[in-house]
Amino acid sequence: MTALSPNVRRPLGDRIYKFLRSIPTWILWILVIMWTIPTTGLFINSLRTRDAQRSSAFWMAWQDNANGQQFPTLENYQAVLGAEATGGLTNGLINSAAIAIVATIIPIAIAAFAAYAFAWIDFKGREWWFIGTVALLAVPTQTSLIPLLQAYSRGVHVTIPIIDKTLTLIPDAGLAGTIPAVWLTHTGFALPFAIFLLHNYIAGLPKDIFESAYIDGADHFKIFYKLVIPLSFPVLAAFAIFQFLWTWNDYLIALTMIGGNRDALPATVVVASLAGEFGLREHLLTAGAFVITIVPLIVFFALQRFFVRGVTAGSVKG
Amino acid sequence: MDRVIAVVIGVVLALGLSAIVFIGINKLFDLSEKRFAIFNAVIGGVSGFVVFALLWGNQMIVSPEIVTLMATLIGAATGFALGLVKTRSGRLAVGVAGGLTLGLVAGSATRSIAWPSIDPVAVVVGVALGAGFGALHWVITRRRHSARVLILAWLSVGWLFGAWLAADLDGSKAEVVFVAAVLGLLVGAWIGSVPYPDRLTRASIATGSRKYIFLAPAMFFIAATLLVPLGRTIWLGFLTGTPTKLEFSGLENYVSIFTDSGIIDVSDWTSIFTGRLFWSAVLLVVVGVGLGRWLGRSGGTGLGTGFSLSAGTGMLIGVGVILGGFAFFTVIRGTIPNNLWWIFSVTVFSVGLGLAIAVLADRSKGENAAKSLIFLPLAISFVGASIIWRGPMYTARPPSQDQTGVFNAIWVQVGEWSTSDTSSLVISLGLLVIVAFAGYIGLRGWQSGNNAILAGSVAINLALVWLVYRFLGPGIGGVIPDPITGEPIPDPVIFLTSNPWNNFWMMLVFIWIQTGFAMVIFSAAIKAVPDDLLEAARIDGATESQTFWKVTVPQIFPTIGVVATTLIVTVLKVFDIPKVMTNGNFDTQVLANEMWQRAFTELNFGLGSALAVVIFLGVLPIMYLNIRRMQRERLG
Repeated sequence: MTALSPNVRRPLGDRIYKFLRSIPTWILWILVIMWTIPTTGLFINSLRTRDAQRSSAFWMAWQDNANGQQFPTLENYQAVLGAEATGGLTNGLINSAAIAIVATIIPIAIAAFAAYAFAWIDFKGREWWFIGTVALLAVPTQTSLIPLLQAYSRGVHVTIPIIDKTLTLIPDAGLAGTIPAVWLTHTGFALPFAIFLLHNYIAGLPKDIFESAYIDGADHFKIFYKLVIPLSFPVLAAFAIFQFLWTWNDYLIALTMIGGNRDALPATVVVASLAGEFGLREHLLTAGAFVITIVPLIVFFALQRFFVRGVTAGSVKG
Repeated sequence: MDRVIAVVIGVVLALGLSAIVFIGINKLFDLSEKRFAIFNAVIGGVSGFVVFALLWGNQMIVSPEIVTLMATLIGAATGFALGLVKTRSGRLAVGVAGGLTLGLVAGSATRSIAWPSIDPVAVVVGVALGAGFGALHWVITRRRHSARVLILAWLSVGWLFGAWLAADLDGSKAEVVFVAAVLGLLVGAWIGSVPYPDRLTRASIATGSRKYIFLAPAMFFIAATLLVPLGRTIWLGFLTGTPTKLEFSGLENYVSIFTDSGIIDVSDWTSIFTGRLFWSAVLLVVVGVGLGRWLGRSGGTGLGTGFSLSAGTGMLIGVGVILGGFAFFTVIRGTIPNNLWWIFSVTVFSVGLGLAIAVLADRSKGENAAKSLIFLPLAISFVGASIIWRGPMYTARPPSQDQTGVFNAIWVQVGEWSTSDTSSLVISLGLLVIVAFAGYIGLRGWQSGNNAILAGSVAINLALVWLVYRFLGPGIGGVIPDPITGEPIPDPVIFLTSNPWNNFWMMLVFIWIQTGFAMVIFSAAIKAVPDDLLEAARIDGATESQTFWKVTVPQIFPTIGVVATTLIVTVLKVFDIPKVMTNGNFDTQVLANEMWQRAFTELNFGLGSALAVVIFLGVLPIMYLNIRRMQRERLG
């Protein structure tokens, strides 16, 4: 019996083969549905009343109106965005936007300059500086938290050895508990990855255009903003989306650096503290979680192509 | 509304200032060739400002606003003059005049807390050391620079140390004026001794400084937020005490970490041999390896290795390894084992599922839609994801109520089916039909020489037969007999508190998020496998599964490594999910949350830093691998 022929000849075998070939598609879509259930469940529950959420599961929402519970209702959203009830989620959203916008633009600008320097300005030890910079990608946030918080709350002081006198380099600027502290922290942490990502792209731009521009008398700064920035738009967009989502979704840095200052807390921390209460307002969590999720989702669906590019960059050669 | 306006103003200010500073510096260095005086004036003004701002920050000067403004202006004027005067003696005179003026201003404005009482010994030592360093510097740099400039520069430093910094600060006003004036004189003489740069040098200032200007902000931020804090954290790890009173205590923090039974607890390790998990794992691996060897020997897909690795045997061995890992981590408990368990589960499941989905999607219709839905959780915050899973997925309600969480609803429903005779019989029959069908397909596959199909059907049937056994025999699902009446009542699982498995339920959230990441990268890698390779394999008669295992997998193997290392780095510092879901209670503590609690709720900076260092040590091997990989790629 030959290996490949029976399926072709026999009707039954043929059908089995076809069935087997169709299995992957089935499994794939089952997985896709499983992957979508949590988000769907959250969305549906956020539109249900407190009693409805507590008495039946989200897929029973179609019976809510028969049980005297309004569905869909926006009451959770009204409550969660209302000023007093939740410790200011509206305020938190404004803070999140303030954090994410600045902590996206500044690292891009700084990293683009550095990436250009690593790619097109020749200097001694360039490769090693670059490798050293990118290696810091893996340094965990945790090793920086305590010293940075100390610096933000007390300033930076150096005790000079031998003569044993303390010199203040940066006085206490009162940064702890403020949004600028989060900007500075995000900026530093974003740079190794940003430089890596932008460098990969900028180093791949055609050499001729730089040379002809240089011959025409343009200096590096002019080449940078006249040529490199416009040509690198795709990768700048990719990193911008990546970094925007990262800073919008960040919890650890905001929690540590802003801490007790409720006015400056971003939405993630506000919602997480709501989750920590386990109390009467648990039904509002669904709406709260959906509010902080909707911005990333819009960004994701609108600009998915760029986002995927940002995530895959550097991991796959070619 | 006020808040919005304040925030908008803050954002605009931050962005505007950064842009002005940066563009300004670039424009400034453009001036050095053609408008050297202006360039010099700005440099002089900024230098004067920085020095006096430092004094101001140390609260060492009276009426700091006016004095700093004066210093800025004097510095600018001196710089401007030095940008015009070209003769040697003229430059020296300008430099000394400017420096002396600045020194007198500084000396007379200094508050009494910083008045030095001159110690002749220290002055002599400082000056001698300064002169020595200057000469040394001159020799080391092979006399490229003028000896006078170098020695004067180092003399200034030596004088600063010997006469001021090393002195006791209980001197008189006359002393401080004298010390500051001499310092100004030395610095002024040093600057004034630098010859006027010719046109070529000025042009090279503009071009040569560009790399520093471009790199400086990035290097500053990386040093200030990553490197210096890393060094300080390592240092703090050796200290104990309160944040304001830390004392060196050697390895005490590390000793207390590694002797804490909450962090590593191996006391229960023998019970691994009494658990079903361990023996199931052993059984699965043995069956998988045995089947693979047997299929490999009997020809077909072995390709001469004597072992047939296919989806079927791979699945058996893989599930066995996973169960074995779980058996290990449910017995060895504590924070560090939890972290290792996280790494194990998330890496294995995300890589496995991501790869599977990438492969499945690669040949299907609606590939892009499916992929973006799997990918979507990656855009959601960990906080949002934790709430999603804690709510609609994991909620447990009291037995008397309907279950509102997906997992418990299914679990209790299955339990009710298994306790009802009719439904358990119907389900068992249904499962047995599938068993028979899968067995038939396996048989047909074997007859037609495709052993992979046989192995797959064996793997699936093992799971199905086990399910039938549970339904007919001991029962399955979330139902227990009522202690009084004996009637079956629902027994929901309280997912987040019942340890040790609550750890895994939290890992599942992370897997849900990260599978999309792995999938996207694998998908790109699979599409990058050259078509002619696959074509050649097919022409040589390879089956789909052989093509995948023998051609595609080796091609994307480096990518698996990259994804796995990226995941390990991410998982090692997992914080948000445990923090929001359990806050480390119920035996779900992880290192990052332990570190946060010690450092920021208990304010034990020493122990917190030591824990951060432990996390850092965990990523060190991966940093090393990354550096080696980049070295190979970039330095050849």
